[in-house]
Amino acid sequence: MSTTTTSAAVCNVPGRNWSKVFTSHEMLLFYVLISEWLFFYFAGTSTNRRGGVVGFGTWDRQFDILRHSCEIGLLALALTPVIITAGIDLSVGSLLGLCAILFGKIWHDGGVPIPVAIGLTLGLGALAGSLNAVLITTLRLPSLIVTLGTYSLFRGLAEAITHGSITYTDFPENFLFIGQDHWLGLPTQAWVFLLVALAIGLLLHRTTFGRAFRTIGLSPEGARYAGLPVERRLALVYVLAGLIAAIAAIIYTARLGQAKADAGTGYELFAITAVVLGGTSIFGGTGSIPGTLLGVAAIAVLKNGLACLPVVMRLNAAEEMSGLLTGALLLIALTASVLPKILSTLRIRHHTSAPSTPQLPR
Amino acid sequence: MKRYFRELSVVSALLAVLLSLALFAPAFFSPQPLLSLVTREAPTLVVACGMACVIITRQIDISVGSIFSVCSVSAGLLVARGWPLALVLPTSIGFGAMFGAFNGFLVAFLRLPSIVVTLATMVTLRQGLNLIRQGEFVNLPDRVQWFGLSQTTGQLVLVGTALGVLVTLAWAMRHLAIGRYLYAVGTDAEAARLAGIRPQLVTLLVFVFIGALTGLGAMMNLAQSPQVQPLTGNGLELKVIAAVVVGGVAISGGRGNLWGAFAGLLLLACVSPALTHLHVEAYWEKAVQGAIILLAVVADGVRSRQGRA
Repeated sequence: MSTTTTSAAVCNVPGRNWSKVFTSHEMLLFYVLISEWLFFYFAGTSTNRRGGVVGFGTWDRQFDILRHSCEIGLLALALTPVIITAGIDLSVGSLLGLCAILFGKIWHDGGVPIPVAIGLTLGLGALAGSLNAVLITTLRLPSLIVTLGTYSLFRGLAEAITHGSITYTDFPENFLFIGQDHWLGLPTQAWVFLLVALAIGLLLHRTTFGRAFRTIGLSPEGARYAGLPVERRLALVYVLAGLIAAIAAIIYTARLGQAKADAGTGYELFAITAVVLGGTSIFGGTGSIPGTLLGVAAIAVLKNGLACLPVVMRLNAAEEMSGLLTGALLLIALTASVLPKILSTLRIRHHTSAPSTPQLPR
Repeated sequence: MKRYFRELSVVSALLAVLLSLALFAPAFFSPQPLLSLVTREAPTLVVACGMACVIITRQIDISVGSIFSVCSVSAGLLVARGWPLALVLPTSIGFGAMFGAFNGFLVAFLRLPSIVVTLATMVTLRQGLNLIRQGEFVNLPDRVQWFGLSQTTGQLVLVGTALGVLVTLAWAMRHLAIGRYLYAVGTDAEAARLAGIRPQLVTLLVFVFIGALTGLGAMMNLAQSPQVQPLTGNGLELKVIAAVVVGGVAISGGRGNLWGAFAGLLLLACVSPALTHLHVEAYWEKAVQGAIILLAVVADGVRSRQGRA
């Protein structure tokens, strides 16, 4: 699946093979997204008594989808480089919660102006990310288990700071603008999201850093022999993840107008799902930002579209349905991604013996 | 002695916590609350045993929490319909084994990474359960709690079952061929295959096994309260993975044993009561547990660096 996308993205050969482009993972996901959107457009749009259009087909709803996908989208953007280097970061959702609390506390108890509080929070997010980075690179510990520890630690600190009950509210109007208003025709936070997407996209696809991430994901030893500073590149990926989680925390707080210790619980799962759905290999080495964006969009449209279906509305079960379908979608995407390989293995089984079960490079 | 350094250091940490509790909060050791604490952890121990096997085989299963919830609720519904416990118990274990087999099939034969597969089944099962039950509790008839025995007897039965599972498995992992297969596959699947082991089959079986143990754990949980709440297994996966890793089972496979996992579980289980008895706010529990996990992996990292140098 992803071999085509890699060659297109990394080598950027002129005169690309168009038939391959149209059957690449991203394009397939794009078709899925379009059909998903069309389905909800026809099944989820209705007119109310005064003849106005309500439900999925309205512009307001499209903006709503964009607004609600920003936080998980940002986390997915943060996780894409991490997963490309064959790592994982389970702590981003907890870090979102911790940063939201820290931001609320700095602003509320510290009495500093909002911009300073935002700056400090972003710094603390990057610092928390560098804790992951130090443990993973200098001690060469598996990222899965380090971030499992910080997953617990960050959420625990957020609970300890708020004693499990304090909620920071009463943020000023001009701060809530980030999360609840429009700017130049789009929800304000969408601009932040697009900016981060552009930055990470350029980093991954147009700089040598991106190439280094892929090389490390394919073979850390090979990258080391090729003279790449493996530790520094890996550290960068985790610090970036911390920074982006802090940005997501600010947006989350501005959207809801409150900072609570349980902010972002379970977001890491949706973010990982979006990244994997977008064609990034969990074994590392391949993946793209356009793919991740499509993955985020597919999940966001699903979640929002279900809420507009009359059947789901009657059951009042949009949240559960979308979670269920996201999980199923991930399973199907995974199975589909390995089917060609399995089929070819079955075909050559006469000639050679099958290779054994692959395992996560931890 | 040196070979079990990691396990022994966890045990000494546990002893240090218990000693400080004995000095500063002797109330912790009064029999009834202590038995209640141990009983609460009994289902977790059973699942942790399964998790240790999975991680030793170099895989991971983060869907155990959801499987636990699904088994608890379905067993609760069957009991409420009047099924005898003797029939519900194998059904619950069978349900767990079935979900485990699904995970195992995808991991072993479709060669998908276990963390993503079990992530997907975790989300699917949890949301499916929420969708069907809408967060509703299942009320259980009186005969179920403590299996109709007195509370203390019931607690002793549960703790005994958990310890029985632990001892049997610890013995099997060391002395039975299948136990050694897990270590072989976890250390180097290709080498294991060349040695005549079938790594795919072993991987499938280990997932079926953890599923079955999760079903058993769900039943042991069921017997402790008059109701089943559908979120009962939330976060269980992290708790058992943490216990297993703190207990010295290497996430890179092939290393560790169940006794270490047992000590790790007890250490983490002591955190919350220790905080209460030492007058630290209970909100610190999660942060302290996270810190213990990090400390354990850092200790592993430092030791392996020294080994390399």
